Amino acid sequence: MDPEAGEILTQEDFFLPPVKYEYLDHTADVQLHAWGDSLQEAFEQCGMAMFGYMTELNYVEIKEVHTIEATADDMLGLLYHFLDELLFLFSAEPNIICRKLVITEFNTECFRIVCKCYGEEFQIGKHPQGSEVKAITYSAMQIIDEPKDNKFEVFVIIDI
Amino acid sequence: MVVRQYNEELKYLEKINPHCWRIKKGFQPNMNVEGVFYVNSTLEKLMLDELRNSCRPGMTGGFLPGVKQIANVAALPGIVGRSVGLPDVHSGYGFAIGNMAAFDISNPKSIVSPGGVGFDINCGVRLLRTNLHEKDILPVKEQLAQSLFDHIPVGVGSKGIIPMNARDLEEALEMGMDWSLREGYVWAEDKEHCEEYGRMLNADPSKVSLRAKKRGLPQLGTLGAGNHYAEIQVVDEIYDKFAAGKMGLERVGQVCVMIHSGSRGFGHQVATDALVQMEKAMKRDQIDVNDRQLACARINSTEGQDYLKAMAAAANFAWVNRSSMTFLTRQAFAKQFQMAPDDLDMHVIYDVSHNIAKIEEHVVDGKVKKLLVHRKGSTRAFPPHHPLIPVDYQLTGQPVLIGGSMGTCSYVLTGTHQGMTETFGSTCHGAGRALSRAKSRRNIDYKDVLNKLETMGISIRVASPKLVMEEAPESYKNVTDVVNTCHAAGISKKTIKLRPIAVIKG
Repeated sequence: MDPEAGEILTQEDFFLPPVKYEYLDHTADVQLHAWGDSLQEAFEQCGMAMFGYMTELNYVEIKEVHTIEATADDMLGLLYHFLDELLFLFSAEPNIICRKLVITEFNTECFRIVCKCYGEEFQIGKHPQGSEVKAITYSAMQIIDEPKDNKFEVFVIIDI
Repeated sequence: MVVRQYNEELKYLEKINPHCWRIKKGFQPNMNVEGVFYVNSTLEKLMLDELRNSCRPGMTGGFLPGVKQIANVAALPGIVGRSVGLPDVHSGYGFAIGNMAAFDISNPKSIVSPGGVGFDINCGVRLLRTNLHEKDILPVKEQLAQSLFDHIPVGVGSKGIIPMNARDLEEALEMGMDWSLREGYVWAEDKEHCEEYGRMLNADPSKVSLRAKKRGLPQLGTLGAGNHYAEIQVVDEIYDKFAAGKMGLERVGQVCVMIHSGSRGFGHQVATDALVQMEKAMKRDQIDVNDRQLACARINSTEGQDYLKAMAAAANFAWVNRSSMTFLTRQAFAKQFQMAPDDLDMHVIYDVSHNIAKIEEHVVDGKVKKLLVHRKGSTRAFPPHHPLIPVDYQLTGQPVLIGGSMGTCSYVLTGTHQGMTETFGSTCHGAGRALSRAKSRRNIDYKDVLNKLETMGISIRVASPKLVMEEAPESYKNVTDVVNTCHAAGISKKTIKLRPIAVIKG
């Protein structure tokens, strides 16, 4: 538990969501494709897909929880900034690698996300080193939001 | 994007000689100048296949083939000459990777684009020589590879071991290699053999976000992952004895070390921040581009100037980064051979930047003009007697370092006068990907790659196992094809071929 995060983990926090993402072909980089029963879930899955490319998530324990916030001017921007915040959580202090993400506020009118990030500090030796994500891109970014057909999907290319 | 049948598309492309194709205006909307790309018959097929695939009905994948991207760049405001695709060109973010474009600074509409530099600002290659021979290394090769791997932090999540605090970082961003020199990590003569002497003077750390600095601080002096590497190489073939001699490489079998790395998370964040700023500037100044990813700003706008100053800081970061690894490499060799790095003659031969924008003077339509030259996946290759290259290389032309892919050869080329006139003194940068990373992982077997490297006598240390497949030579274009095309087209000249004997990767 991270005293700074100021939250005590409960039993429920250790429950792991099913995997609803895959990695698609792209010449130089990789395209994340995530889906869910809501757009919110698709976003969470997309974030986990990115962490899954940096290490093997099975090796990541849930030891602490951090909260990130992202805001933007439109939905694509929101997805972009959400992932960028997660990347920053990993790339700078406290270098958190996440096993699980739970979006607690998903505002598609003011374009704001608040997300709880469950994981631990990245440790070489404990966590296998995967690929390094340089940046999130808008390249071929797609958000499919069709509640009628219960279809919620996102596509993002990350620069590696 | 213009959607046409493949046959229709081909009408806009014309082969003007065996190594060069012209992209005519109209291939993409609003082209201000023509495009051009350099290929041989093998690379030509890859290039055209990519175009053909994108013409298939129902292709909505969204990423453009390299040849379309070259044409989109030709439509940017203020571009002069031609939008150039080098032989290793492949689809990138906005600009193709292996794309160079020059913009006239005196034209108030001219733009600067972070996509024309790339996320890894001042990613580049440095080559160190030694006076060792392959036979000196062979008995201790595994130990030396391990020692290098232990000295240089590699891979995702690794942290630099050179002590740094926030203030040191500010100074390093401003001073580049002068900082490394002051702190005792490099030799004075190392600077001489770097583009810009390892320091861009217009760097302004105050134009860099705190976010970038926070990402950069722990990563200074780390190699990174992906296609970055440190390799122990030996001279395999010398094509130009005189030029090789000037570089201190006299004999086949002589040992060198090549370091390929960039500005790490720092540069990535500078680029990310700039893209956000430029989206706004584009709306305000009503800059129309063919592709949203070609985010740009007028050179003389606040956003444009701020980016150039932040980019210069990131360039300095990259030089300090490569310098820190130069220091670690010298330490590893010194310990192994119980000799001082001086006595091992471990000088920097040269250090090139292949993701950068620079202000340079070139002749356009018979007049000298100040241009902002974007090189993304493209290396500067200045000819003999150019004032910006070091004294030691005045007669040979600037050394151009071309890193191969894992297990393949690397090359040293030199700049030519023809390159100066045709491509604003630019050439290729490496192999360039041919297969996607996901495809490589599916189709290539981990053990096969390692066995193959072993039979070739190459020791390998890799932090991430899946990188072995992603970076296997089969995933890349053949660097020899790329280099031979540059040589045959005359835009640079082959000097030395280097063969790897040990590879350290993220």
